[in-house]
Amino acid sequence: MSEPVPTVLPLEVIDKAIGTEVHVLLTNDKEFKGKLIGFDDFVNIVLEDVTEYDNDTANDGKIKKMLLNGGQISMIVPSV
Amino acid sequence: MSEDKVKTGPSVFLSEILGQQVKVKLNNGVTYLGNLNSIDGYMNIVMDSTSEHVNGEDFVKTYGDVFIRGNNVLYISQV
Repeated sequence: MSEPVPTVLPLEVIDKAIGTEVHVLLTNDKEFKGKLIGFDDFVNIVLEDVTEYDNDTANDGKIKKMLLNGGQISMIVPSV
Repeated sequence: MSEDKVKTGPSVFLSEILGQQVKVKLNNGVTYLGNLNSIDGYMNIVMDSTSEHVNGEDFVKTYGDVFIRGNNVLYISQV
Protein backbone atom coordinates (compact mmCIF):
# COMPACT_ATOMS: atom_id res chain seq x y z
CA MET A 1 0.00 0.00 0.00
CA SER A 2 2.68 2.47 1.02
CA GLU A 3 5.26 0.99 -1.39
CA PRO A 4 6.01 3.31 -4.29
CA VAL A 5 4.63 2.09 -7.59
CA PRO A 6 7.14 1.86 -10.48
CA THR A 7 6.44 4.72 -12.86
CA VAL A 8 8.23 3.30 -15.90
CA LEU A 9 7.14 -0.09 -17.17
CA PRO A 10 9.63 -2.26 -19.07
CA LEU A 11 7.66 -2.21 -22.29
CA GLU A 12 7.48 1.59 -22.11
CA VAL A 13 11.26 1.68 -22.29
CA ILE A 14 11.17 -0.39 -25.48
CA ASP A 15 8.36 1.76 -26.83
CA LYS A 16 10.47 4.88 -26.32
CA ALA A 17 13.26 3.26 -28.32
CA ILE A 18 11.08 2.80 -31.43
CA GLY A 19 12.66 4.56 -34.37
CA THR A 20 16.16 4.49 -32.85
CA GLU A 21 19.16 2.15 -33.08
CA VAL A 22 19.07 -0.73 -30.63
CA HIS A 23 21.31 -3.65 -29.78
CA VAL A 24 19.50 -6.92 -29.19
CA LEU A 25 21.38 -9.63 -27.31
CA LEU A 26 20.15 -13.20 -27.57
CA THR A 27 20.59 -16.17 -25.31
CA ASN A 28 22.91 -17.95 -27.78
CA ASP A 29 25.86 -15.52 -28.15
CA LYS A 30 24.22 -13.81 -31.09
CA GLU A 31 23.56 -10.09 -31.31
CA PHE A 32 21.62 -7.85 -33.67
CA LYS A 33 21.98 -4.13 -34.21
CA GLY A 34 19.37 -2.18 -36.12
CA LYS A 35 16.61 0.39 -36.10
CA LEU A 36 13.69 -0.68 -33.94
CA ILE A 37 10.45 -0.57 -35.92
CA GLY A 38 8.03 -2.28 -33.59
CA PHE A 39 7.34 -5.07 -31.13
CA ASP A 40 4.45 -7.02 -29.62
CA ASP A 41 3.51 -8.32 -26.17
CA PHE A 42 5.85 -11.33 -26.57
CA VAL A 43 8.65 -8.88 -27.40
CA ASN A 44 8.97 -10.31 -30.88
CA ILE A 45 10.62 -7.32 -32.53
CA VAL A 46 10.84 -5.86 -36.02
CA LEU A 47 14.21 -4.36 -36.98
CA GLU A 48 15.41 -2.45 -40.05
CA ASP A 49 18.90 -2.23 -41.61
CA VAL A 50 20.18 -4.95 -39.35
CA THR A 51 23.72 -6.17 -38.74
CA GLU A 52 23.98 -9.67 -37.29
CA TYR A 53 26.83 -10.54 -34.96
CA ASP A 54 28.05 -14.03 -34.12
CA ASN A 55 30.29 -14.08 -31.06
CA ASP A 56 31.15 -10.37 -31.53
CA THR A 57 32.06 -10.68 -35.23
CA ALA A 58 29.73 -8.98 -37.70
CA ASN A 59 28.25 -11.11 -40.45
CA ASP A 60 28.69 -9.45 -43.84
CA GLY A 61 25.63 -8.01 -45.48
CA LYS A 62 22.86 -6.03 -43.85
CA ILE A 63 19.35 -7.35 -43.48
CA LYS A 64 16.83 -4.85 -44.78
CA LYS A 65 13.97 -5.72 -42.46
CA MET A 66 13.41 -8.64 -40.13
CA LEU A 67 11.16 -10.13 -37.48
CA LEU A 68 13.15 -11.51 -34.56
CA ASN A 69 11.61 -14.20 -32.37
CA GLY A 70 11.16 -12.91 -28.82
CA GLY A 71 11.81 -16.32 -27.33
CA GLN A 72 15.57 -16.00 -27.94
CA ILE A 73 15.96 -12.43 -26.73
CA SER A 74 17.76 -11.82 -23.46
CA MET A 75 18.39 -8.07 -23.54
CA ILE A 76 17.57 -4.97 -25.58
CA VAL A 77 19.92 -2.00 -25.31
CA PRO A 78 18.87 1.35 -26.75
CA SER A 79 21.99 2.89 -28.27
CA VAL A 80 23.63 5.72 -26.35
CA MET B 1 0.49 6.26 -29.72
CA SER B 2 -0.41 2.68 -28.98
CA GLU B 3 -2.23 2.66 -32.31
CA ASP B 4 1.00 3.60 -34.07
CA LYS B 5 2.81 0.84 -32.24
CA VAL B 6 0.31 -1.72 -33.46
CA LYS B 7 0.62 -0.40 -36.99
CA THR B 8 4.39 -0.87 -37.07
CA GLY B 9 4.50 -4.12 -35.13
CA PRO B 10 5.21 -7.70 -36.17
CA SER B 11 1.78 -8.39 -37.67
CA VAL B 12 2.16 -5.52 -40.14
CA PHE B 13 5.63 -6.68 -41.14
CA LEU B 14 4.29 -10.18 -41.75
CA SER B 15 1.52 -8.92 -44.02
CA GLU B 16 4.11 -6.85 -45.90
CA ILE B 17 6.33 -9.82 -46.72
CA LEU B 18 3.62 -12.36 -47.63
CA GLY B 19 4.35 -13.67 -51.12
CA GLN B 20 7.86 -12.21 -51.17
CA GLN B 21 11.27 -13.86 -51.10
CA VAL B 22 12.31 -14.32 -47.48
CA LYS B 23 15.15 -15.75 -45.46
CA VAL B 24 14.26 -17.83 -42.41
CA LYS B 25 17.00 -18.65 -39.93
CA LEU B 26 16.47 -21.39 -37.37
CA ASN B 27 17.92 -21.72 -33.90
CA ASN B 28 20.30 -24.44 -35.14
CA GLY B 29 21.83 -22.04 -37.69
CA VAL B 30 20.27 -23.55 -40.81
CA THR B 31 18.83 -20.99 -43.20
CA TYR B 32 15.96 -21.38 -45.67
CA LEU B 33 15.45 -19.04 -48.61
CA GLY B 34 12.13 -19.17 -50.36
CA ASN B 35 8.83 -17.65 -51.33
CA LEU B 36 6.69 -17.03 -48.25
CA ASN B 37 3.25 -18.59 -48.60
CA SER B 38 1.89 -18.36 -45.11
CA ILE B 39 2.80 -17.56 -41.51
CA ASP B 40 0.85 -17.57 -38.25
CA GLY B 41 1.17 -16.24 -34.73
CA TYR B 42 3.39 -19.13 -33.67
CA MET B 43 5.77 -18.22 -36.52
CA ASN B 44 4.86 -21.49 -38.18
CA ILE B 45 5.90 -20.87 -41.77
CA VAL B 46 5.04 -22.33 -45.18
CA MET B 47 7.36 -21.54 -48.10
CA ASP B 48 7.79 -22.81 -51.64
CA SER B 49 10.76 -22.86 -54.04
CA THR B 50 12.93 -23.28 -50.98
CA SER B 51 16.68 -23.70 -50.72
CA GLU B 52 18.43 -24.90 -47.59
CA HIS B 53 21.75 -23.40 -46.49
CA VAL B 54 24.09 -24.54 -43.75
CA ASN B 55 26.91 -22.36 -42.37
CA GLY B 56 25.37 -19.25 -43.82
CA GLU B 57 26.19 -19.54 -47.49
CA ASP B 58 26.89 -23.12 -48.50
CA PHE B 59 24.16 -24.38 -50.76
CA VAL B 60 22.80 -27.72 -49.64
CA LYS B 61 19.40 -28.72 -51.01
CA THR B 62 16.27 -27.49 -52.72
CA TYR B 63 12.71 -28.29 -51.76
CA GLY B 64 9.27 -27.57 -53.16
CA ASP B 65 6.92 -26.78 -50.34
CA VAL B 66 8.34 -26.50 -46.84
CA PHE B 67 6.60 -26.27 -43.50
CA ILE B 68 8.69 -24.97 -40.60
CA ARG B 69 7.40 -25.32 -37.07
CA GLY B 70 7.51 -21.94 -35.39
CA ASN B 71 9.44 -22.89 -32.27
CA ASN B 72 12.59 -23.38 -34.39
CA VAL B 73 12.48 -19.94 -35.97
CA LEU B 74 15.12 -17.43 -34.88
CA TYR B 75 14.15 -14.78 -37.40
CA ILE B 76 12.44 -14.15 -40.71
CA SER B 77 13.75 -11.40 -42.95
CA GLN B 78 13.37 -9.78 -46.34
CA VAL B 79 16.11 -10.64 -48.80
